[in-house]
Amino acid sequence: MSQLFQYDDERENASAAKVRALEALLIKKGVLGSDSIDTVLSHFETVAGPFNGARIVARAWMDPAFKQRLLDDTPKAIAELNFPLGMDGAEGEHMKAVANTPDTHNLIICTLCSCYPWPVLGLPPYWYKDPVFRSRGVREPRAVLREFGVPIADEKAVKVWDSSAQIRWFVVPERPANSDHLNEEELAALITPEAMMGVALVPTPKAA
Amino acid sequence: MKLQQYLGGLENLGPVNLETRVFVSEWEKRIFGIHTVMMAESNHLDQALPKYPMDEVSTTFDEMWTWAHLRTGAEGMNPFEYFKFRYYEKWLMGISQFFVDRGYISAEELAELTKHYRAQPDAPLPEQPNPALKEQINRYLNLGDSGLRTPAVPPRFKVGDTVYVGDPKAAEHSRLPGFLRNKRGVVTEVYPGAFEYFVSTGPDGLEGPQHVYCVSFDVADIWGEEKSEPNTVIYADLFDTYLQAPQ
Repeated sequence: MSQLFQYDDERENASAAKVRALEALLIKKGVLGSDSIDTVLSHFETVAGPFNGARIVARAWMDPAFKQRLLDDTPKAIAELNFPLGMDGAEGEHMKAVANTPDTHNLIICTLCSCYPWPVLGLPPYWYKDPVFRSRGVREPRAVLREFGVPIADEKAVKVWDSSAQIRWFVVPERPANSDHLNEEELAALITPEAMMGVALVPTPKAA
Repeated sequence: MKLQQYLGGLENLGPVNLETRVFVSEWEKRIFGIHTVMMAESNHLDQALPKYPMDEVSTTFDEMWTWAHLRTGAEGMNPFEYFKFRYYEKWLMGISQFFVDRGYISAEELAELTKHYRAQPDAPLPEQPNPALKEQINRYLNLGDSGLRTPAVPPRFKVGDTVYVGDPKAAEHSRLPGFLRNKRGVVTEVYPGAFEYFVSTGPDGLEGPQHVYCVSFDVADIWGEEKSEPNTVIYADLFDTYLQAPQ
């Protein structure tokens, strides 16, 4: 793992002080309320997060017809699941799902910045925002995926989706083997944001 | 060529970062929050999709602030500076400078108060809730800010068309991944409707509602036959202005 971004406490504390000062001044000047930032953060704890994506993927695994509808018209299929408001909100206005198959592995990237499908996956993890991934993901996706612990054979197709406009892509990973004994909720618990962006496979669960 | 617009394809960078956390320090959550509140109270939102009731939101913030504004700041940095600073450090630099430049705070008072919190990290913040702004933040997060518009002209390309990516002048902001400039691709989807980016990018070409196409690229056509992985295709969503028909 890159050591480039391991900063010492001094640097962290300096940033912490500066952002606290900025927040204080902006509250004082009426740009923010003292409750504004926590309102934002709360949204990503309760409304938008990978718990949504996991539910969607688990449903797709249980219901092949739903999976096809999800791939054909992602927002319309998501709306079938009666999520509370927000599934086509900020950074989810135009989402599209692509499915991994035995023949094809999908990888999502944003080489220009860090565009990410907020409603279904929440906020992007560090690896996704990192310039090394953003640079190498389009040049050598299999080498990058090997570093993530996902070996993809040369014979298997790799599709890399660069989120350079309005679409926010995410992946429907393959259902793992030996998972027939699990219900939808148990399936959802296996699915990580990494699997839904294409840098992880869903692990095979323990036998029943 | 502005490096931040060309990250795709850089080599010799070492291993990828595997960190799965979104934030590695508590302070990062605060600058993320500040940026998001700025987007939620941007003065363009009364004309957005949907039209937000901004006259019901009491705030002294009277600026347009979108992803484009944040990204423009990052793309404007000297590339050596860009790589020296971590992701949220760049946000903190860009956003605090924005507020100084626009006259909301002075550099001196920011420095002074930073010293105060450095000495007393747990010193309190002012207590001044803003319920109307809180409502707007939730509205914005739930309803978004879509660029979907009615197209004025039909799309120039259709599925299956071979297209060439252009090479416009480097501007302060772009949505053209640099590594695709001058490359040949095939249109795989014509997105319904047209899309208007948050800002005009001047000579770069984003101006007003445009069609957006999903274009596929064989990696051999980008990196060269001997220098690319087999069976690999890159898809990019590209605004109409970035594409040309074969000559």
